[in-house]
Amino acid sequence: MTKTRKFLIATSAALFVSAASYAATLSGTVAGGHGAAAVYIDAIPGKTFPAPAKGPVVDQKSLLFQPHVVVVQQGTTVEFLNSDTVAHNIFWPSISGNKKMSHNLGTWPKGEKRPFKFDTAGVVPLLCNVHPEMSAFVVVSPTPYFAEADASGAYKIENIPAGSYTLVSWREGGRPTSKPVTVGGGATAVAKLSK
Amino acid sequence: MNKSAARFPAHVLSVLIPVLVMVLTSPKSEAIPAFSRQYHTSCQTCHIAFPKLNDFGKAFKDAGFKFPKDDETFLKVPAVMLGAPAQKDVFPRSVWPGEIPGLPPIGLRMNMFFQATGAKRNQFNVLSAPAAPQFIPATDFETGLFSIFTAGNFGGDIAFWVDDDISVSGQNASGGLGDAYMRFGNIGRFAKLPTDTLNLRVGQFELDLPFTQARTYNLSPYDIYSEANIGAVNAMGAQQNVANQFAFAGAAKGIELSGGHNYGGYHYSVAMFNQNTSGVSQASNSSRYLPSATGGSSGGIGFGSDSSTKDIYARLSYRFNLERDPASRSAIQAAGTTGPHDHTYLNVGSFYLRGNSRQALPGVTLAGGNTLLVAHEPFYRAGGDFSFNIRALNVLGLYMYGRDKNLLPVDSSGNPIPLPFGSTSPLPTSFISSFPAVFHGGFVEADYMILPWIFAIARWDGVHSSADRINALALSPGFPYFGATQSARNRFTPGVQFLIHPNVKASFEYQIRPRQSVTSAVDPVTGLQKLQNPFRVNTALFGLEFVY
Repeated sequence: MTKTRKFLIATSAALFVSAASYAATLSGTVAGGHGAAAVYIDAIPGKTFPAPAKGPVVDQKSLLFQPHVVVVQQGTTVEFLNSDTVAHNIFWPSISGNKKMSHNLGTWPKGEKRPFKFDTAGVVPLLCNVHPEMSAFVVVSPTPYFAEADASGAYKIENIPAGSYTLVSWREGGRPTSKPVTVGGGATAVAKLSK
Repeated sequence: MNKSAARFPAHVLSVLIPVLVMVLTSPKSEAIPAFSRQYHTSCQTCHIAFPKLNDFGKAFKDAGFKFPKDDETFLKVPAVMLGAPAQKDVFPRSVWPGEIPGLPPIGLRMNMFFQATGAKRNQFNVLSAPAAPQFIPATDFETGLFSIFTAGNFGGDIAFWVDDDISVSGQNASGGLGDAYMRFGNIGRFAKLPTDTLNLRVGQFELDLPFTQARTYNLSPYDIYSEANIGAVNAMGAQQNVANQFAFAGAAKGIELSGGHNYGGYHYSVAMFNQNTSGVSQASNSSRYLPSATGGSSGGIGFGSDSSTKDIYARLSYRFNLERDPASRSAIQAAGTTGPHDHTYLNVGSFYLRGNSRQALPGVTLAGGNTLLVAHEPFYRAGGDFSFNIRALNVLGLYMYGRDKNLLPVDSSGNPIPLPFGSTSPLPTSFISSFPAVFHGGFVEADYMILPWIFAIARWDGVHSSADRINALALSPGFPYFGATQSARNRFTPGVQFLIHPNVKASFEYQIRPRQSVTSAVDPVTGLQKLQNPFRVNTALFGLEFVY
């Protein structure tokens, strides 16, 4: 586990970013590792963003969390559904390593949903205390500028206003890494994230 | 340490029975990693500290080694169809379709032990001179069992289980087949009975014991399950001519009908199986003159039974799920605020076994001709059990009473012949009933899951046997815990187990073993027998095992 984490942290350092002018699209690749990945623009001082009215659904089906990774904006309510005929539980031991943020949602039967509003930005590892092999992640972005990388690690964040930001990347098995990026002026910038 | 231990007059059987054999014949404790592979799920889906089953594991087993509902949606390795489902429409003009697991459902298991034995280890209760000097080491490393097991289902409620010890204590020849059976679930549907009310199991299997011995989580076996009623043949007490090798720890060969659930409500089973009270092995009972399954003129696989009669075992239990929430009370697992867990429950049950112990003796007829006298001594074992569970604490117990009819050989005048037979003993002509050979005892055990990977256990075992006591009076090395002043052996065994990984477990037991004495004498004050220098040979036992 430790080796894997180090490997992912090291290899996810290479992040290529292109920048455009106002309402630009930021795209690139989260390199290294094989797990799911997500990127987002970190909190922007002095700016707040209204949370979306409707959030995604995370299902527990066939002893799996589906989807395995979901990226949401801070303040979003995620609904957790149990579609299995066996009992499931959902808890998380920490948020971005902060164990004081641990929480247990409890247990509910097949077909029922239980909502939870994620007010704290960070990475939330979802676990089931009945089936220790089950795992998923909710990546909570403080801004509406986020994306989940595809299987190849490629991502695209659209409609980012021009400006200077901190771009955060996360890959399963590693810790989030960040790098300042500047978006705007129509120029294309390449940024590398280091751990 | 006793430096003269190598010359101490000890008999090896007295060592092996109470101490070392316990290690070498430690119970199987199989979890099924094959199911982890099939379903991509953790051991803890079905087990608490493997091999102890949680409620879901009991339901999985009851269902025929599959998920009780929607099994196919949980399988990550799809089964291979042995015929399209539509073939059912063509039946009987086609073979009824079935399936096999997508991967061979095979698991392997290995365990090893380290034992430290108390300082009194070479003072056990044997006065007869051994054939050769014996020595019990203070510490000992032992390899245990390397076993293979496979289990699963073939679809259509047909399940199977086979486990075999490939080697025991490093000796390949010491292994053997454990359980090997097929289970036909829900055969009651043909009679329109409700689901799960009637199942059929065929093969070799552990009887439906209240608490399994073959798959126990303890390092050492339950003493009462290993108790065979071996009547005394000496003049030290009431004579007993009973040689019943049957013990609950052994596997039975036969058929079993069962129904209900082990995780809630009623459960019953009725088994009919081969009588084998002499302990004769299958191979030693073969005959080239009789047909057999693998037979022919060179002999076959042999037959393990002592007679044509069969033994009967029946069990009935009921589990009261005591969850406050009525919705989860009927579910397989209770839904708590922190997640599903085993129900708070009280399980009560009873069991009864009826058999006939067969003994054959050379004798004479009243007319003086040689004959073979056969005594059929009916025996039974009966008892009750309970298990109470509340969250992480489980308290369980069992009591058993065993009774064998005692037929003593008599001479032509009808007088009992003093046992054991000597060169001047007359040949028997028949038998008469005498005092039965009885024993009783049981165990009480509590386990508590301190953390999901730390499991504390405390257990008390007790066995009271009239036959064992009389045997001990004759200084038989196989009965070192009984004597002039005691007819019971009690053992207290605290322990703790650690899951190093979900499939790797380290276990520790400290066995406070029964009190023994080398000699006894008459107390000059009370006039009663009194032990001289009684002692216990306590044992610390460490186990390490893994399954994969």
